[in-house]
Amino acid sequence: MGLDTEFIVEGFKVAMQPHNLFWIALGGFLGTVVGMLPGLGPATAIALLIPITFGMDPTSALILMASIYYGAMYGGSRSSILLNTPGDGSAIAATFDGYPMAQKGQAGQALAISAIASLIGGLIAVVGFILLAKPLASFAIRFGPAEYFLLMIFTLSAIVALAQGAMVKGFIAMAVGLLISTVGIDLQTGVYRFTGGNPNLAEGIDFLVVIIGIYAVGEVLYNYLTIDRPLGEKKSVGKKWITKEQWNRTKWPMLRNGPIGFFVGVLPGAGGAIASMLSYSFEKQLSKKPEEFGEGAIEGLAAPESSNNAASVGAFIPMLSLGIPGSGTTAVILGAIVMLGLKPGPLLFENHPDMVWTFINSMFIGNIFLVILNIALVGMLVKVLDTPPKVLYPLILLLAFIGTFTLNYNMTDFFLLIIFGLLGLVMKLLRFPVAPLILAVIVGSEMEQNFRMSIVKNDSFLGIITESPITITLAIMTVLSLGYPLLTNWLRNRKLEKNIDRQQ
Amino acid sequence: MLRFATPLFFLLVGIVSLIATLNLPKATIGNANGPLYFPLLISIILIVSSIVYFFQEWKLRGIEFKDFKLLKEGKAPRYLILSLIMMLIYTFLFERIGFLYSTIIFLGGLMFLLNGWKKWLLNISIAVIFSFITWYSFAVLLQVSLP
Repeated sequence: MGLDTEFIVEGFKVAMQPHNLFWIALGGFLGTVVGMLPGLGPATAIALLIPITFGMDPTSALILMASIYYGAMYGGSRSSILLNTPGDGSAIAATFDGYPMAQKGQAGQALAISAIASLIGGLIAVVGFILLAKPLASFAIRFGPAEYFLLMIFTLSAIVALAQGAMVKGFIAMAVGLLISTVGIDLQTGVYRFTGGNPNLAEGIDFLVVIIGIYAVGEVLYNYLTIDRPLGEKKSVGKKWITKEQWNRTKWPMLRNGPIGFFVGVLPGAGGAIASMLSYSFEKQLSKKPEEFGEGAIEGLAAPESSNNAASVGAFIPMLSLGIPGSGTTAVILGAIVMLGLKPGPLLFENHPDMVWTFINSMFIGNIFLVILNIALVGMLVKVLDTPPKVLYPLILLLAFIGTFTLNYNMTDFFLLIIFGLLGLVMKLLRFPVAPLILAVIVGSEMEQNFRMSIVKNDSFLGIITESPITITLAIMTVLSLGYPLLTNWLRNRKLEKNIDRQQ
Repeated sequence: MLRFATPLFFLLVGIVSLIATLNLPKATIGNANGPLYFPLLISIILIVSSIVYFFQEWKLRGIEFKDFKLLKEGKAPRYLILSLIMMLIYTFLFERIGFLYSTIIFLGGLMFLLNGWKKWLLNISIAVIFSFITWYSFAVLLQVSLP
């Protein structure tokens, strides 16, 4: 990022101001608590707390939401380790060796190493952020409508392609999201589209209602289905600090998986779940004793923990420097800060370097705060897991309704909230990926405007693709991102068929 | 068969949106068909994906469809239907009787539904205390005007 030492120091000073420290601490704490609750992840936490950010200045709001995000990353692994119940996708890998460690009476050490690994991964990623974000933003300054249109197509197709074996479902989710974004007055011509004569829909469907509906109401309804099931038995924490031998075994895994997680996080569509799985299998392959993995190998916990936290920091890069989020959670954060009047994108780094640097410094401070919180208050935090879900879920539903009301003071939004809650539930039951829909709802309108502007300039779709070397590259990347899973699937099927033939 | 309900539903959504798009009024400013292009493209993507999805499910038709099984287990259908009804009642009452009373009814209803009648004191206390806390936080601290 060049040597903007002035901004670095200034950003640090602003991040250290009491009110910002308060938001870092509050966000980190709330994120940890919500992340710990089984079934609730960072996107739900942020969606529920959006109303708190209204009236805040955008920098503080961004700091708060980011600290909720990585706080939830720290918290998510608590329930993985103690209950074998991951809060969300990125915490799944922590169950593989974390839970066996807890069963052996090493829960405290597992929690400590997970917090330390998260800190190291997070700090590595912040350094990566400093090195990569500004050059990417400077590069993106030359993007015109055609480039942006294709970048959005690439991001959406990458998210769809990574929808874990459900590409067609991903396309459907994306198309539904884009359709939702077309409801309301057309910005260029004033034509009313799909409002069904309801004046409350003239301004379109608020994407925050969609987000709260799907992430909060949908999640609660889904959790209702299993609310009477007993949770895994919680083990006592035991010794709270790691031994020197454990440190020696984990220091390299933590250091090498931070950068991996970071780069996976920067890529659209990937994110914490994929980063942590990738790091787990990478570390298993490197290990001299791979047979210990899954039986409580401390490296098997340190590697994914470092990686998923690094990914959550990396995910901010496309959102802030291009204005296009690469994951469901960053899409939610983007939605919220756009509401506050801040427009992330390449110009953010030119026009508001102070804000960017404050944010970066807040991530440094936040990660250090979280490791202290997670190690020092481990006993208290573990008690959160005793919160009966039967008390918790009604409160989440209530927060979802109030949050929705504060958006537009409009009762139509309540009906929409219920509809999107049901949609979220059905999507979850049918294993439809949610991220393509959320991202499509958020970028849909801008994507359409860029599409129409570039079609006026180029006359045809082919003209848009061939407008510049950047558009051609993005088009090729889109084809590759969609083609790669199809190709690997085809190869896998062929191999299976051959094996079956051979057996016959 | 339940297995085909979802692809057919999305196919229907695609067809309806296609028809609605084709019936959109022409724009009087700029390109007359401008508002049409994008929804048209998406409707086609939705229709094509739904057809592919249908055939994917068709291949699995001999296998038992388990995705909605959770909906029928234990008390799940009761929890789900009654809480949906409560959400609708809350929507209906919210502006009519005001935030505080409607929220106490809503939260209380949900608590009794999930927690049973035996813990009536806990249910009522949580409903009243949390309704008041949220009212105080939003109306007083965050200065949101609530009905």
